[in-house]
Amino acid sequence: MIEVENLIKDYGQVRALHGVSFEVPRGQVLGFLGPNGAGKSTTMKILTGYLFPTAGRAVLAGHDVTEEALEVRRKVGYLPESNPLYMDMRVDDYLRFAADVRGVPAKDQKRSLDRVIHDCGLQRVVKKGVIELSKGYKQRVGLAQAMIHEPEILILDEPTSGLDPNQIIEIRDLIRHIGQNRTVILSTHILQEVEASCDRILIITQGRLAADGTAQELCDQLPAGPLEVEVIGPAEAVEQQLRELFTGGRIDLLPAHHARHGGHAFRISVPPHMDEHAREAVYDLVQVNQWKLVHLYRQRANLEAVFRKFTLSAEAADELEHKARGEEVAHA
Amino acid sequence: MHETMVIARRELRSFFLSPIAYVVGAAFLGVGGYLFFNRILIESAGTSQEARMVLFFQLMPIAMLILAPALAMRQWSEERKLGTLELLLTYPVTTGQLVVGKFLASMLFVGILLLLSLLYPISLSFFGDLDWGPTLGGFFGCWLLAAAYLAFGLFASALTRDQIVALVVSLVALGLLEFFTSSTIGQYLLGDTIIAVLGLLSPGQHFASITKGVVDLGDLVFYVVFCGLFLFLNASILEVKKRVG
Repeated sequence: MIEVENLIKDYGQVRALHGVSFEVPRGQVLGFLGPNGAGKSTTMKILTGYLFPTAGRAVLAGHDVTEEALEVRRKVGYLPESNPLYMDMRVDDYLRFAADVRGVPAKDQKRSLDRVIHDCGLQRVVKKGVIELSKGYKQRVGLAQAMIHEPEILILDEPTSGLDPNQIIEIRDLIRHIGQNRTVILSTHILQEVEASCDRILIITQGRLAADGTAQELCDQLPAGPLEVEVIGPAEAVEQQLRELFTGGRIDLLPAHHARHGGHAFRISVPPHMDEHAREAVYDLVQVNQWKLVHLYRQRANLEAVFRKFTLSAEAADELEHKARGEEVAHA
Repeated sequence: MHETMVIARRELRSFFLSPIAYVVGAAFLGVGGYLFFNRILIESAGTSQEARMVLFFQLMPIAMLILAPALAMRQWSEERKLGTLELLLTYPVTTGQLVVGKFLASMLFVGILLLLSLLYPISLSFFGDLDWGPTLGGFFGCWLLAAAYLAFGLFASALTRDQIVALVVSLVALGLLEFFTSSTIGQYLLGDTIIAVLGLLSPGQHFASITKGVVDLGDLVFYVVFCGLFLFLNASILEVKKRVG
C-alpha cells in the first residue's frame, strides 16, 4: 500500500532524512517511534505531499507522491502534528468544508458527516465553535476531518499528544477501530500506545531507520532482565548449586524481606549461554534436589529498553547501562 | 472549478467571521461616507454631478491602497501561522485553485463593499441628473484597481507568517509605486524615463485613465496581466516552499 524508497530530505544545509526505505502492506497499523527531530514528521509530510523529497521515491496506493500528488492526496487522510483547525468555524461547518474540499459528493455528505461524528464521538459538540472545544475534542475533530472521505491510508502525526490518560485511551480505541480496515501510519512518544495499537513498529533516529518489527520481535532482540528465584530448601546448598548452574553470571542473595513465600530469594543475571533455557534449568535443579520452587520470574526486555538501545548514541547507551548496573548493586 | 469555489466560499465566510474585515470594511464605508458628504455634497455644491463623481473617484486609489492589503494580509500568513496551510496543501486541490479561490473571495468581499458604496451616486442622483455610464465605469475601474492590489497583497501574504509584515510590504511597495508615479517628486528623483515605465506598471495610473472616460482595452489587459502575474508568483512561492521545506 505504501512503498518508500531511499527517501532523502534536506532543509537547507541540514539533512533531515538520510535515505529511509520501508513498505507497509494494506491493512497494517504502523507505529513510528523516535526522539524529537528524528525525521518522523518529515517522513509523514512527504507521504502526504506537503513537502517534496530531495531525492528518493514514495508511492502510496500506486501513485507517486511527486508525480501524481493529487491522486495520492485523494487517498490519504492526514492529521498533522499540531492538529491545526480553523478556529473561526463551527464543528459541523468545518467537517462539511472538509468533505467538500475532499470531493465527497453532495448527496453523500450527510452520511459521511454522521459517520465521522458517530465514530469520533462528536455528537455533543457538532453545533459548537471549534475554538470552544477542549483539547481532546479538538483532537477528535482533527481525526474526523482526516477520515471524512473514507481514505485508504491514514497518516496521524502524534494523535494523542497533550491528551489526558482517559482521552488517550479513547483515541487509541478509535485508532484501533479505524485500523481494522485501513492502512494507518501513526507517530507517538508513548510506547504503550504503539504496543497497544500497532501491528508493527519502525524506529527512526537521526534521519535513519534503526529498527523494524513487531513489538515482540524488537523486544526479543534485547536480552531479557534478571531472573528472580525463590526456593524453599537449605540456604547454602541452594546458593552453591545455583552458582554452579549459572557460572559466569551474577547471583545475589536478596535480603529476607524479598522472600515473600518463606524461602530464599535470589536475583540472577543470566550469562549469555544460559539465556534461552534459564528458567528450565532452575526448575530442573529444584526438582532433582526435591526443594520447593515458590517464585520464578523473568522480566522480558520492554519497548522502553528497545527505544533507548536504538535511539541513544553508543556512548550515551553505555553510560546509561553503567548507571543502571550501579543502581542494581546498590539496591541488592 | 468546484474546488476553487469550495475554497472561495470558506474564505469569504472567514471574511465575514473576522473582526479585521469588519473594521476595514466599516472604515472604508465610514470614511468614504464622511468624505463624500463633506467634500462632494457640501464643498463642491454648484458643480456638475459628473465633476462631483470624478472627485469621488480621485479618492479611491488611496482607499483601495489601504483596504486591499489589509484584507489580503492574513489570507496566507494566518494559514501558515496556525498550521492550517499544512492541511490546505494536502487536500486534493491544486495550488492554483487555492490561490484563485482566495483571490476570488477577496474580490467578492470588495465587490460587496463597492455595491454598498453605490449609495453615494444614488443619493447624488436625487440632487440632479447623473450620467450613470461613466459612474458605473468608474466603479468597475475601482474593482479592477482593487483586484490588482489584492493580487499583490496575497502575494505578500504568502511570503511571511506574520500578517503585519505582509501588510507593510504591500503598503510600502504599492504606496511608493503610486506616490512616485503620481507626484512631481518622483520625476525629480527618478527621472522622466523611469517614471514613464513605472507609470505603465502602476495600477493607480491605469485607474486614472479609466476614470477619465472610456474603459480602454489596454487598461483591461494591464489589470488581467498584473493580477495573473502576482497570482502566479503567489502559487510559485507555495510550490517552492514545498521543495525547500
